[in-house]
Amino acid sequence: MSTYAFLAETLSGTYEVDPAAIRPEATLADLGLDSLTVVELLFDVEDEFGITIPEGISFQTLAEGAALMDELVRNKAT
Amino acid sequence: MSDRRVFVTGLGLVSPHGEDPAKVFDQLCRGESAIRTVRSGTPELGADVLLACVDFEPGDRIGKADRHFMARAAQMAVVATRNALADAGLLVDGAGPEQAAVSMGCGLGGAEILQQTYRTYFEQRSRRTRPRTVPLIMANGPASQVCMQLGIRGPAHTYSVACASSSVAIGEAFRSIRDGYCDVVIGGGAEAMLNDATVAAWQAVGVIAHEHADGTAGSCRPFDLERTGLVLGEGAATLILESEERAAARGALPLAEVVGFGASSDAYKLTEPSVEGQERAIRNALQDAGLAADQVGYINAHATGTPAGDPVEIEAVKRAFGTAARDVAISSTKSMHGHLVGASGALECAITALALRERRIPPTANLTVPDPQCDLDCVAGVGRDAPDLEAALSNSFAFGGSNATLALRRA
Repeated sequence: MSTYAFLAETLSGTYEVDPAAIRPEATLADLGLDSLTVVELLFDVEDEFGITIPEGISFQTLAEGAALMDELVRNKAT
Repeated sequence: MSDRRVFVTGLGLVSPHGEDPAKVFDQLCRGESAIRTVRSGTPELGADVLLACVDFEPGDRIGKADRHFMARAAQMAVVATRNALADAGLLVDGAGPEQAAVSMGCGLGGAEILQQTYRTYFEQRSRRTRPRTVPLIMANGPASQVCMQLGIRGPAHTYSVACASSSVAIGEAFRSIRDGYCDVVIGGGAEAMLNDATVAAWQAVGVIAHEHADGTAGSCRPFDLERTGLVLGEGAATLILESEERAAARGALPLAEVVGFGASSDAYKLTEPSVEGQERAIRNALQDAGLAADQVGYINAHATGTPAGDPVEIEAVKRAFGTAARDVAISSTKSMHGHLVGASGALECAITALALRERRIPPTANLTVPDPQCDLDCVAGVGRDAPDLEAALSNSFAFGGSNATLALRRA
């Protein structure tokens, strides 16, 4: 599963975000996520893909976040 | 001080006997135990333990995302409180009265979350504990979640006084209304500490009951010569307390009246009870309520079923009640629902309110061979009608030597 697909699935499944609101260009603020939910979500991604997301990582939209995570997954593979 | 009268106008339970207060009370009056043998813990270290678990599934009553940020005790508190608000006629569009206060008792907060975190750290040798651990293990999780889930915006306080937590919470809720600080308070308690490491620690204290020859249901035997200890339970109980004026203004039908609260400290031993300390709590409650001992027809005892504890409470009642001790009915409903620790006081206060309303006294189950040291009327086996019952007490005595007694009257 791609990191974006995983983000989308976790947001709607675990955190009950309206699937209609989950779009690549949606920001975390658009989705109404509080800071604790965001760090939990990052933990979910780390567990799923076996990566370590650096502290202080910053991104606006889901697409940007997924791109950063894809990069971490690629670096892990090499 | 305005000394306003305080009524119980709603009850909500998430108890080992279920959620419906009337059905729970009926089961208790029939002497039916909710204690079961449960396989607990890991394959290597687990054990068969006697517990009074709650078959609890919040289902769609708490959203999945919200549940992710709530420990089991908090989930139970929210459901019990929603039940209580509905019972009181105060649940409107899924929310309670915005101006209400919350007064909750809880001993260990998110005990199961703490266990999970320690397993991650020590067993999996990882520092990657979930971020939500911190707000989930807080003892004030239940009170906070009650506010967030039910739109309550008054003061929300948590009392963590071990086994007396929720009696203190209800006592302070009572005082805050009587003394004019609040008009409506959600008072109660929640506890969910039946994870294996916590149960193992309780077993190490040497106070946990062994299975009795009569079977699992007969294992908790307060006041009985063959008692071997307490059985841990879990759950939540909420009482809606309202000023007389507020209840009357909306035509609410009171279930009972809270009339007094007495508290004391033993300043003695960490786990050994003290006759003197318990006697003072009972006396303080009677004095606070303006009740003479001979007006009290029922005491819901703290009695957990330990050899050390039960006779101390009986002696404290004898000293506080004098000659009236011979005439008061005393029962330990823990014989059936187990010891809910931080939620015990609230569940037993709810049972006491129901006893007053129904004029029926629930029994001490499994009391077949009375301990000569417990020679008062301990209502053995099944409940009994009490057509003249007017006032009752509910005792909660905690490890650490904190004692609390609530006094209630028939409304």
